[in-house]
Amino acid sequence: MKNALLTATTAAFLAGTAIVASADTVTLEPGQDTNMVLLPKFLGILVFDQANEGAQEAHAELQNPGELLFQGPTPENSVAGQIEIMTTSATQGQGAVMLSNNAGDQIAPAAQAALDGGTRVVTWDSPIPSGDGEDVFVAQVDFGSIGIVMADMAHSILGGEGKMAVLSATPDAANQNAWIASMQEALEGDKYAGIELVDIVYGDDQSEVSYNRALALYDQHPDLGVIMSPTTVGIQAAAKAMQDEGLCDEVKVSGLGLPSEMVSYTLNGCAPEFALWDFRDLGYLTYYTAYGLATGQLTGDIGETFTAGRMGDYTVEEDPGRPGAKRILMGPFTVYTSDNVEAAAQ
Amino acid sequence: MTGLLTRMSPQTLRIVALLAVLMAVLLFFATQIDNYLTGRLFNRISSSVAIMALIATGQTLVILTRNIDLSVGSIVGFVAFATGSLIAALPGLHPVALVLFAMGLGGLFGAANGLVVAYARIPAIIVTLATLAIFRSLLVEFSDGRSITSNTLPDWLVSFPNTTVFSIGDFDFRAGFLAAFLVVIIVHLALNKLRAARRFYAVGSNPEAAEMAGIDTKRTVFTAFVLCGMLAGLAGFMFLARFGNITVVAGFGFELKSIAAAVLGGVNIFGGSGTVIGAFIGAVLVDLIETSLVRWPLVSEFWREAVLGTLILLAVTADAILMRRLIKLRTDREAARDHERERAAERDRATHAEAGS
Amino acid sequence: MTAPVLALRSVSKRFGMTRALDDMSIDLHAGEVHAIVGENGAGKSTMIKIMTGIHQPSSGHIEVGGTRTVVDGPHAARDAGIAAMYQEPMVFPDLDVAENIFISSTREGVLQNTRDLHRRADALIARIGMQVDVDRIASGLTLAEQQAVEIARALSQDVRVLIMDEPTASLSAHEAAQLRGIAAKLAAQGVAVVYISHRLEEVFEIAHRVTVIRDGQHISTQSIDAVTPESMIADMVGREVGNYFEKTPSTATDNVILSVRGLGLAGVFRDISFDLRRGEILCMAGLIGARRTDVALSLFGITPADSGEIAYKGQPIDVRSPAQAIRAGIAYVSEDRRKLGLAMPMSVRSNISLATLGHFLSPAGFLDRRRERETAEAYRDRLNIKTPDVDAAVDMLSGGNQQKVMLANWMAMQPDLLIFDEPTRGIDVGAKAEVHALIREFVAQDGAALVISSDLPEVLAMADRILVMREGEQMAIIDHADATQEYIMALATGQAALQKAS
Repeated sequence: MKNALLTATTAAFLAGTAIVASADTVTLEPGQDTNMVLLPKFLGILVFDQANEGAQEAHAELQNPGELLFQGPTPENSVAGQIEIMTTSATQGQGAVMLSNNAGDQIAPAAQAALDGGTRVVTWDSPIPSGDGEDVFVAQVDFGSIGIVMADMAHSILGGEGKMAVLSATPDAANQNAWIASMQEALEGDKYAGIELVDIVYGDDQSEVSYNRALALYDQHPDLGVIMSPTTVGIQAAAKAMQDEGLCDEVKVSGLGLPSEMVSYTLNGCAPEFALWDFRDLGYLTYYTAYGLATGQLTGDIGETFTAGRMGDYTVEEDPGRPGAKRILMGPFTVYTSDNVEAAAQ
Repeated sequence: MTGLLTRMSPQTLRIVALLAVLMAVLLFFATQIDNYLTGRLFNRISSSVAIMALIATGQTLVILTRNIDLSVGSIVGFVAFATGSLIAALPGLHPVALVLFAMGLGGLFGAANGLVVAYARIPAIIVTLATLAIFRSLLVEFSDGRSITSNTLPDWLVSFPNTTVFSIGDFDFRAGFLAAFLVVIIVHLALNKLRAARRFYAVGSNPEAAEMAGIDTKRTVFTAFVLCGMLAGLAGFMFLARFGNITVVAGFGFELKSIAAAVLGGVNIFGGSGTVIGAFIGAVLVDLIETSLVRWPLVSEFWREAVLGTLILLAVTADAILMRRLIKLRTDREAARDHERERAAERDRATHAEAGS
Repeated sequence: MTAPVLALRSVSKRFGMTRALDDMSIDLHAGEVHAIVGENGAGKSTMIKIMTGIHQPSSGHIEVGGTRTVVDGPHAARDAGIAAMYQEPMVFPDLDVAENIFISSTREGVLQNTRDLHRRADALIARIGMQVDVDRIASGLTLAEQQAVEIARALSQDVRVLIMDEPTASLSAHEAAQLRGIAAKLAAQGVAVVYISHRLEEVFEIAHRVTVIRDGQHISTQSIDAVTPESMIADMVGREVGNYFEKTPSTATDNVILSVRGLGLAGVFRDISFDLRRGEILCMAGLIGARRTDVALSLFGITPADSGEIAYKGQPIDVRSPAQAIRAGIAYVSEDRRKLGLAMPMSVRSNISLATLGHFLSPAGFLDRRRERETAEAYRDRLNIKTPDVDAAVDMLSGGNQQKVMLANWMAMQPDLLIFDEPTRGIDVGAKAEVHALIREFVAQDGAALVISSDLPEVLAMADRILVMREGEQMAIIDHADATQEYIMALATGQAALQKAS
């Protein structure tokens, strides 16, 4: 007990000197005590567990004597469960909640109440669309650039000429919708004049629905060249469907996928190119941000720059996609091909 | 034509009516969608219906006893994941052992449902609504965020459902579909030929009478749930083989689809009547409507669920009206026959009376 | 003489405070048709339920073939060769006839051979002399055919005792004759047939012996040759009227409030005609299946009649719904307190104001709790309702007090015509007398009451006139002066001609 107290005092002292020492880039002082909650869309999805690993890594690195809880709703109860956990965390006086939002703006009142009660709210992966009740959004990549990357992958697979269809998650998923919109914008450019976007369908992020939708896309558009799926469940299901039906020569699959799930399809040519960012890094950066805010070392004001451990320096900026909201842009992402996918899948 | 129809049993009539509705749906979409009526459509539907056919078969057994199982989707999900984990850990496991594992595990879940429903006498809709959430939460806990991916599965498993066993023209008959169809036929025969299975009908038809007649209604209901769990387990195995990628949302919403299939297939939601063949055709119909809607440009994504619901309602209504007509035709004939018989009896009595006086 | 196939030995059965069976002993022999007769509520149903294992005796025991046996459920009864069939047959509507017969059989193989099943079903149906297609679905069968199915099911199990509870009550004359034929045939084949019926002529036609029970007690068992309808009715009725209730003096006026002519409902009742005057109590007497309640439900608009005329307060009226009846000032107090009359978990106060909620609404449409409470308190005093306070839940009260709450509910409406269905069933004698007085008090204040009662002493104590029904038909309307229990019972059992002759 005495020891802990001593450490805390030292840490506070060091923190003070740190701010004085470097006014531009904040270096977070480790060892400060704050309890935090990492709240994914729901439990049981690999990428969220990877984000948790990254957050735990940062938690250890920053020697936070407090607790980092990985808490999420069950899949059938995602929206109500997220709101409930948000409210409970605020009542418990948690230092910060790190939220991958699956509840749209419905969660804003609960998040605002948490903010008002002194709990910081940092979103990651999927923000609160209105920006209400949120300190800052840790964006995995620039949403605009995802559109360009997807357009580029389609361009390279089609050789500049052909038909493309999109297989998304749910019709009301904020992040996927933003990415698709940015891709449609990118397709306006001259470079992509030969690419025609023929259809957008939704697989609800369920294997069987996505699988059947992918086949239906092919049936409906027999001259389809590529299925673009900006969701890890969808791209995997689409690739499996094309492989099962022996269609990989005609229709390629691309989008956002996990190397470990996609490696065989990339090697056999069903999904020659796909992209993703590192969810471990995303969790790691999110933790640094939330820790800084919860311990008062960061204000979260626009222009503030801080060092996030091994990942380097990041700056709080205006979110171009959501007027009035703030983001920290992680970026970049990796495009996987047969050259690098095996190494990443390990 | 009417002569033929009146001679058929109501069961057969029901299937004829369903096939008529199926035809109508096919013809309708053929006018709406280009390149619709092809062998490919058959291949799509037959491959994807294999899983739902098994679940709807199990659901039918439970509904026959005047109960319902809302937890089948969660059972499918859990079994798919657990079976995937097992084969990933023991790649050399014999296929039969793996299937038995899947069915056994499903049966255990079914037994849990059955125990509470039959012996604690709690309404099935409450019990299975609870286990729907409980089994899913168990999966979340058990999976610990991992997902099963097809590259961890042996080749025999992944390639099994899509192996074409034989083809007729453009129509491929694949192993997954044939296996599911075989199970449906076996259950159908068992329901018609096994004395013990007839009790499902008796219990659902009139539970009070069944009790009075000395039928062990509790054991009958329990058995129905166990069998439903086993079939859901088998469906979980098929799910794993077909999709390879199993996350915690596997089997989501299957309970409602299976109930829709069963009811559409003429299984009385209040128990006592219906066939698994009917439920099978019901499953085909649901799958067909769903698949076709995706390809129907007139309906946007946001309206698809509503249109699906409406079409199912329409199909059920059309089927019910058709059935009522056919049954009325039959009873009219029977009534006429009875009337004839009654009159003959009266004439008899009259002559007797005269003779007596 | 060989041991009886089934015997009750000093069997008593109590339900809470009520004694449904009291020291009942009876022997049933192979090959006999043994009729059991008694008034409504004499304990016949309880006796059957003891024999079929649905109820267990509170004391006493059962002997099967001379051996003391515990029959602890339908299973055990079936194993002992005891089967029962009821007025409403227990069939499986979705199964065909053959399956209905054999579904519960314990002696079938694992597989079901449809052709063989149908052949054996045909044989059983033929054995009882009926004509039914065994591949028909049971839901389409007539009542008589369903009963045939039930008998065949019992036969498939080597039945030794077949209990038939009012089997002919819902059958046409022809069908009933057919069924009696079956019963006689089965007895000839060595089955002990227990035959329960309100139709005394049936009893005389087929029974070998008759047991009369009354108030749960065994009164007599005699050979059919030793009894006459008169002696049987005397045994069934058998008590001194004076011991029970005082006749309340008539308050009838000449002012006819309700006039019914030729009222009928297809297949249920027909040709009911009577006048009811202000100040009068008209009782409807009859046995189970007499359709008295159905007449009441028609008058109250729940199941409107399809023929005949009703004049109410001098005007023709066509009652199509209870709401309309209530508006016209007609109230119906149900026989089944739980199902139709009271909201059991709600308070006495709420129940009293249930039918007249509109009277307690403030101009703004809110419930005036104070006025509601005052009214409830007033009725509590007037009807002597024993409850700790008017906020107590109704299901905490005794049956008699529940009945009074229900009375209060309808009297608060201040109706002109009250229809009571079995107003004192299941309540104690003291409370009964109170209810009688209340009904008389009500009619004395220019009201009129139509009372359905199966309790003959009660009928004699209350009624100014008595309408006797039997199987949907009006047998007679008799003045109180001419009424005796025996005469009413004779009318109700269809023995009136015989009674008058004596």
